Amino acid sequence: MNEQNNIELPRRQFLSRSAKAGISIAAAGVISHALYDPEGPTPGVSAEDLVTLPDFSIPPEEGRTISIVIGSDRTKAVGRAIELLGGLGRFVKKGQTIAIKPNVAFASPPMLGATANPGLVAEVVRLCYAAGAKQVLVTDNPINDPASCFMLSGIAKAATAAGAKVILPKDSLFKYTTLAGGKLIRNWPVYFGPFSKADRLIGISPIKHHHRSGASMTMKNWYGLLGGRRNVFHQDINTIIAELAMMVKPTLVILDGAEVMMTNGPTGGSVSDLKRKNTLIASTDMVAADSFGCSLLDLKPYDLPYLAKAHQAGVGTTDYESLKPKRATIS
Amino acid sequence: MASGPGRNRRLESAVSILLLVVLFFIALAVLIKQADVDMTRFGLGAAAQPDSQNTPDLAVLTPDGFKEFSSPLVYTAGNLYEKINGKAPLYLDAGFLKLSTQRFVSRTDENLWMEIYLYDMAGLKNAFSVYSVQKRADVETLSTMQFAYETTNGLYFVHGRYYIELLGSAESPDLLEAMKNVADSITAGLNVDGEAQIPELDLFPTHNLVSGSFKLSLKDTFGFADLTDTFTCRYELNGQSVTAFISTRSDPKNAQKIAVSYSDFLVENDAKPKSTADEILKKVAAKVLDFYDTTEIVFFLGPFVGGVHEAEDQKIAEEVAVMLINRLTDLTKTPKQ
Repeated sequence: MNEQNNIELPRRQFLSRSAKAGISIAAAGVISHALYDPEGPTPGVSAEDLVTLPDFSIPPEEGRTISIVIGSDRTKAVGRAIELLGGLGRFVKKGQTIAIKPNVAFASPPMLGATANPGLVAEVVRLCYAAGAKQVLVTDNPINDPASCFMLSGIAKAATAAGAKVILPKDSLFKYTTLAGGKLIRNWPVYFGPFSKADRLIGISPIKHHHRSGASMTMKNWYGLLGGRRNVFHQDINTIIAELAMMVKPTLVILDGAEVMMTNGPTGGSVSDLKRKNTLIASTDMVAADSFGCSLLDLKPYDLPYLAKAHQAGVGTTDYESLKPKRATIS
Repeated sequence: MASGPGRNRRLESAVSILLLVVLFFIALAVLIKQADVDMTRFGLGAAAQPDSQNTPDLAVLTPDGFKEFSSPLVYTAGNLYEKINGKAPLYLDAGFLKLSTQRFVSRTDENLWMEIYLYDMAGLKNAFSVYSVQKRADVETLSTMQFAYETTNGLYFVHGRYYIELLGSAESPDLLEAMKNVADSITAGLNVDGEAQIPELDLFPTHNLVSGSFKLSLKDTFGFADLTDTFTCRYELNGQSVTAFISTRSDPKNAQKIAVSYSDFLVENDAKPKSTADEILKKVAAKVLDFYDTTEIVFFLGPFVGGVHEAEDQKIAEEVAVMLINRLTDLTKTPKQ
């Protein structure tokens, strides 16, 4: 034993030190108890961690809210539809970064119409560059494996060939968000990364029958921005679609009704599920676009409760005729 | 040799450094763990985990001239949504157990590929239900199987408890031929025990029956929640198509209860009772109703609830209903073997 260990501690000092040690242990216990969170950390609950998607909308112009073009050639139709709204120069400014969110939900060939048409996506990319865009991003968070979806749908190849940068979702691109006044979108992961860098947002979606929601069009397309176990929202599909429409404020939506999936949606599987309608809609009001689009599925806006919910929330109008749609037919 | 306080200080320093190193590695581990986000929380994890137990090996189905294009994947009720999204409830409500999928691609043309969807529906009726409600109109039925049809890019059929879709990437005769080979391999090699026939289909008279028009609605038939397990089919009479239905209930008392509540449901939704001159309909106390210029007929007979739905013409609707009643009467009279 060394000399130090043999030092005798005076009784008073021993009691003093013991008391201090006891107080320290008790204090640590009290503080630990006060700080103890029996539920553990909940991701994204702190307000500073929450993000809000930028508002990509542009000021409305009377009579230039929605256009409907009849024609079998999608690439010609989309050019004409945008032209009727004032040309892409109204939506895309020189040097801007444009995010395009096509529906790439499934690893499905383009022929089946379960995903956005690759030729249409490529044409919109080209138009954006022609209008002076610095960069065009094409992205989605698909239902199936993202790489397979982008590859088999033909969208990756077509978009890349047109000069776009295709972004596949990864964990670092998701952030938590809460929709003000939202019932379902609360502290929920949302695909945020690519959109945080963009100046404008364009949605491109086919018109499809949907077994759960009745129809999948421009508003349902934003489902791809949700992360997490988003299928839980299928229990309240109309509310989640309406909330997505409240959360996402796009610059422009393009609704492809060239071939409409009339049955067995949203996946389809057979070309016989499709019916040629030769219609393409461009709009800054997605409620109006979908309200017209549902007519191509032989539905009325009141058949799709989410349209009424979005209308009531002030997202847009189901009375698309009140917007005096610009119409054209192309050969 | 150092001793006393100096040695103790060095020992304390060494222990302190050791503790700091340990704390550093703990902090490092925490940081690494934090950076390694569980991607499944964001819906980005593996779409499905293969379950090697009791799962058919799809790779053996690879047709000649094709090779595997994706790994086999298996989806259960918990993650079926990750494959077919909004269509999942259709299967989940019909007794779905498991979906096995795999893609095969042509060795000579990478644009020609097919995907197998093998749904294990736990029973023949369940498989028939999902097959029938999704069946495309105006398609070519395949005579080689009981419930099968093809479109220009796909084959769809029932094999025992399995509902199978073979979906092609293009409208190609070569692809369709390869799909038929896969279908043959499935029916020859995939063992299915249990029921091979659906006896309820024999309840319907065959005269004027539209071939292949049978459907099985497991719930909410015609919007009425209690009308479950209902078979429907179409009849063509005088150029008009009429939908007939039969639901087999647990006993005659339950059949009466369902028939009465269904006709009440129609009346609550603005259907108006109509008179009928037909003696057979009167005899079974069938309800004949006008529903927005279409005719609905509902009756019960033994354990059966039957009738006609949304017929344009009352006379033809009654004719079909009488055919059903006569057929069911014959069957209930026939002694069981």
